[in-house]
Amino acid sequence: MTLKSVLAAIIVVGAVVLAGFGYYAYYPSLPNVSAAERPTFDAATVEKGRILAAAGYCATCHTAQGGQPYAGNYAIETAFGTIYASNITPDPETGIGGWSPAAFRRAMQQGVNREGAHLFPAFPFDHFTKMSDEDVDAIYAYLMAKVAPVSERTKENALPFPLNQRILQAGWKLLFVNFGRYQPDPSKSDEWNRGAYLVEGVTHCGACHTPRNVLGAEEKGQPFAGAAIDRWIAPALTAANPSAVPWTASEFARYLETGAGIYHGIAAGPMGPVVHAGLRELPASDLAAIGLYLGDKVGAPDTGPAENPAVVASLKAGRPDPTYRKDLGERLYATACAACHYNASQIVEGRPELAINSSTRLADPTNLIHVILDGVDAKDGTGGVVMPAFRHALSDTDIAAIAAYLREKRANLAPWPDLPAQVARIRAEGAGH
Amino acid sequence: MADESAFRTRFRGARSGEGLSRRGFLVTMCAAGAVFGFPRAGFAAMDPAVPDGVPVEAVGARYEPAIWYWIDQRGKVNVNIIRAEMGQHVGTAIARILADELGAKWDDVSIEHVDSAAKWGLMVTGGSWSVWQSWPVYRQAGAAGRVALAQKAAELWGVDAASLTVADGVVTGAGRSASFGELVAQGITRSFTEAELKALPLKPHSELTLVGKDVTALDIAGKTTGQAIFGIDARVEGMVHGAPLLPPTRYGSEIIRIDDSAAKAVKGYRQTLKLDDPSGTVPGWAMVIADSYWAAHKAARLVKVEWKASDAARVGEADIQARSRELIADASKGALLDTGDTDVDPVFARAADTLEAEYTTATVLHFQLEPVNALAFRNAEGVWELHTGNQWQSLALPWLQKALGVDENGVVMCSYMLGGGFGRRLNGDYAVPAALASKALGGIPVKVVATRPDDAKFDSPRSPSVQRLRMAFDTGKNVIAMDTAVASGWPTKVMLPAFMPKGVNGEPYDPFASDGADHWYSVGAQRARAISNDLAESTFRPGWLRSVSPGWINWAVESFMHEAAVKVGQDPVRFRLDHLKAEGRNAGTAPDSVGGASRQAHVLSRVAELSGYGKATLPADTAIGIATTYGQARTMPTWVGGAAQVHVNRQTGFVDVQKIWLVVDCGTVVDPDGAHAQCEGAALWGLSMALFEGTEFENGLVRDRNLDSYTPLRMIDTPEVVVEFVESAEVPVGLGEPGTTVVAPAIGNAIFEAVGVRLRHLPITPEAVLAALKAG
Amino acid sequence: MIEFTINGRAVSVDVEPDTPLLWVIRDEIALTGTKYGCGIGLCGACTVHVGGRATRSCITPVSDVAGVEITTIEGLDPKGEHPVQQAWRHLRVPQCGYCQSGQIMQAAAFLKDIPNPTDDDIDAVMTGNLCRCMTYNRIRAAVREAAATLRGEATNG
Ligand code: FES
Ligand code: FES
Repeated sequence: MTLKSVLAAIIVVGAVVLAGFGYYAYYPSLPNVSAAERPTFDAATVEKGRILAAAGYCATCHTAQGGQPYAGNYAIETAFGTIYASNITPDPETGIGGWSPAAFRRAMQQGVNREGAHLFPAFPFDHFTKMSDEDVDAIYAYLMAKVAPVSERTKENALPFPLNQRILQAGWKLLFVNFGRYQPDPSKSDEWNRGAYLVEGVTHCGACHTPRNVLGAEEKGQPFAGAAIDRWIAPALTAANPSAVPWTASEFARYLETGAGIYHGIAAGPMGPVVHAGLRELPASDLAAIGLYLGDKVGAPDTGPAENPAVVASLKAGRPDPTYRKDLGERLYATACAACHYNASQIVEGRPELAINSSTRLADPTNLIHVILDGVDAKDGTGGVVMPAFRHALSDTDIAAIAAYLREKRANLAPWPDLPAQVARIRAEGAGH
Repeated sequence: MADESAFRTRFRGARSGEGLSRRGFLVTMCAAGAVFGFPRAGFAAMDPAVPDGVPVEAVGARYEPAIWYWIDQRGKVNVNIIRAEMGQHVGTAIARILADELGAKWDDVSIEHVDSAAKWGLMVTGGSWSVWQSWPVYRQAGAAGRVALAQKAAELWGVDAASLTVADGVVTGAGRSASFGELVAQGITRSFTEAELKALPLKPHSELTLVGKDVTALDIAGKTTGQAIFGIDARVEGMVHGAPLLPPTRYGSEIIRIDDSAAKAVKGYRQTLKLDDPSGTVPGWAMVIADSYWAAHKAARLVKVEWKASDAARVGEADIQARSRELIADASKGALLDTGDTDVDPVFARAADTLEAEYTTATVLHFQLEPVNALAFRNAEGVWELHTGNQWQSLALPWLQKALGVDENGVVMCSYMLGGGFGRRLNGDYAVPAALASKALGGIPVKVVATRPDDAKFDSPRSPSVQRLRMAFDTGKNVIAMDTAVASGWPTKVMLPAFMPKGVNGEPYDPFASDGADHWYSVGAQRARAISNDLAESTFRPGWLRSVSPGWINWAVESFMHEAAVKVGQDPVRFRLDHLKAEGRNAGTAPDSVGGASRQAHVLSRVAELSGYGKATLPADTAIGIATTYGQARTMPTWVGGAAQVHVNRQTGFVDVQKIWLVVDCGTVVDPDGAHAQCEGAALWGLSMALFEGTEFENGLVRDRNLDSYTPLRMIDTPEVVVEFVESAEVPVGLGEPGTTVVAPAIGNAIFEAVGVRLRHLPITPEAVLAALKAG
Repeated sequence: MIEFTINGRAVSVDVEPDTPLLWVIRDEIALTGTKYGCGIGLCGACTVHVGGRATRSCITPVSDVAGVEITTIEGLDPKGEHPVQQAWRHLRVPQCGYCQSGQIMQAAAFLKDIPNPTDDDIDAVMTGNLCRCMTYNRIRAAVREAAATLRGEATNG
């Protein structure tokens, strides 16, 4: 579900409940504080805040293309118009320089800005509400101490009436958001709870990986069941994950640290910055905790997958076949892809084995097509390494043939329908980055 | 022009040895255009052994026994090479011939690929002629130096020159010795007339120390470090880049309108030229000019050109082949090759039995890996320089003169290494658009690099062909006549019509579209009719492609010989041997074809033995097929026996070529390792064209233009190739192509022996095999 | 300006971001050992190392390599004595040589990942590199020889 659907939902809710929420929806404006009035924080807190801000990818959404960090105006395009992320530098006029810690907490945990206006749920306050005051304050400390104030007025959202009426958000919140801090599960280990706290809160994984209902809110009944996001597919992080080799705690941790897993693929598309501008900043213990928690969701034992029959089968299917010419996709694969996607008797780290790769195994070919068309730049995936882009090299038919070959011959899964048309559609959407 | 003898060169020659012309003088200043910071940006000549390609210069006194080399007072021997280096290590092979005869030390030898000055005479690298043609010339030149050096020493020491030995860069005798350098430093003036050169004594074969031995080729090292400089790497200061826009047909299309408004947004875009070509080489072309390759090609995608296309835009491969069939059916068409008794009709009329078959081949692209390119500008002396790799400077220069409106002193080509020739760069048409663009821009340097698809569109491909073969038998199943008709587009007719020899019926013919039909089998009355396909020639520019017509005619002849053997119930090798008799016109003549058909019989027997043909027990649907050819032409035969072991998958039609054997008799092997390499490459080309290559004309252009659909052989397709050379002291003949010619028929024959079906079209696709199996 | 490192040298180039890395290397940085063959990732003539991996530079937009380490044939070894290059010379692999920079770069990267390749492994990886002169048999042998050298085994000659 995309932001477009979220906004559609807002219209519906707005129309139904318009007047009744006046009381509920009302928040007062909080006082404007001067820089001098701001509390001071120790260096450790500031550093902790830096890491948490990274883990929440704050900069990713609050920095415009080519703009100053955190100065906002990152354009979130929707079918209804454009929403601009706000300036969260400590500039008193145009940023959040006049916000107190309490105002910042209210924004993070309740989705209401200092002036008392409701924030759009493009800002994942439904997750940040799980965060401890201490952690939220640390982010505040970091933003105030380390981010340079930038005077940049946030553009008016280009949304039509009534979508631009922020008060309508209150209704949406009432329906869909359980406000309140994370409550540990006493039956689980501390590490598990730490992982859960991070995943449900600051890293807000569910924002992309949980499907949304018709009103644009995460389906509470289907956490991490996988969803479409920004024209890519965020795979399920549950037992429904289609991987040939189940995700394990250590594979998750490796992926989040390096941007690449051995058995699943790399962080590309919207997931690229999640790892590279975000999660990898967390200490190894936190990444391990996230791995443990997500691994538990997927339900896989954390054992070495090298002997996994799917791996063995994939390596076998990948052996060169002198009759490779009989199939267009196989021929193109052998001549264009195998020069990098090779493995011998074992999977070599950094050489994605495509029959077991997530993008080949998802019910939807979108991610695979994106990567073939536009490659992976050095910032994404395994840092410093690129995958070339076949957008100007191969036709829709060619790319569809490669995808079909991987899907049917290599992964041995049901064919994807209408592949050439899907390639044409994704190509027409333009490069993803 | 030395071109007068272009085709006589097939019969050796063309070392005119004219004096230094004005142009020859001017080109020593080739690329006076300044150079900036790049290795070898514009020199007249090239030494492939050094990173920047700059040829070594003589130090101090120098002696030039013939125009082919000099020796300086350091003892350096610098050999001038007029052949293009395209992977055959030709400079090394030729320098070695000279150095051996001279008695030079190999470490002192360097080579220089020269420019196209008139003094070099005919410049062409093709037909596997290089070593064959150079052999006598460079040996004489080497002998001249040896004699002069010995004379000098004899003079200094007051002894008889005959008592001295010249070896390893030193003259010794009478208890003394002097290096070449020392002798040159004393001043040598001895010169030789053409007649004297010819009369010089040459070393007996047994005394050759470099020829036939392994010597590392001088061009190899630079090709492993990225230092080798190819035409595509040429660069001079101030150069702009051109991206051509090709018309919808090779000939006859006209530009109606050019709209470059969208291209103006591209940074670095300058303008789009409508090329005006007085030489008619590239009619209807436009050229996008920009500051960089990428800007030019990006802009080119945005420039809209509207053309009025010629009728060729409606021509497809089937039309061309239909035209060939029509021409073959008309007995009045074509040239009759000299095959002795050509009066076959009465023999066929009285024959007890006959056999007839039609063979066809599809259009084949050169697909040399370096797309065609050229850099053109007018230098400070007012001479046009063309920097590019080229195989036949003497052919392209007149076109360039016409295009530029200058005489023969007005344009020169500078040598670069070729990223593959295979005959594509015999046709230097690609230099013309660069020259025209520079001319339109007042002589500033313009570099044009074709995109791969444009290279394919603009290729001079191997024409599709149709051949009809007939054989007549008497009641004893003896062969009494053979009648062959071969039809295709003729490269020589299109590019150099005046140089076609005449057939026995007075009609001119293109040897490169008929060699192979006049084979060495004694078959009684024999008619070989070569027919030019006018529709092919008006649709595209047919080209010479590695092994030219022997590559497709032998496919037919050798498949047909196998069919004939089957028909008369004989072993195909035995049947061939019975007809390879060194008698009459097949007896061979000195020096080039001594032994005639007996040498072909020998390579055939030997390859049968080597491959285990008829003896090896092979798995089901697996067999060895045999073929034999005589390389390029009756006048310079390289005798080749070939065998291929194939497995045919009856379910998929896939033909797996498991091993190839070649037995080659090319006379003296000058460079054993290079010879192996050439034969391996040639054999694999044969395999590639037999199974994997081939495109078709569609709407006047080739359908397949890049590797997404044009699919040459790759490593995984590569079988083991065994090459054996016949030990010989005969004249060395060519090697670049002959290995190609036996492979397709050997594969076709192997398929027949494996699964009993006869394939008569190249390439042999799995679909065709399945269809044949189904038909039965 | 897009910045990256090439053969150990920091460079910054002012080109359109969609310019293929190949043309930046050839035209802007003037290293011409890397060749253009097909422009669509199917011949391997343009192979360079990006972050140590063999990469087809003709279809890699230069914007994608900001900040990375690139090695071309000129920088594979300062003296041109990488074991792959040595094997190539020892077995006299090159004919025209045009494909060989790409072949060597591909082989060098491949042997880092798979130091002891079987012929099947070699075929699988090297099949992406077209050699129009068809030097494949020698390439195969040279890859094996270079692998042995890199593993520290003595070669027989
Ligand atoms: S030029 Fe890049 S793969 Fe062919
Ligand atoms: S050596 Fe010529 S293309 Fe490989």
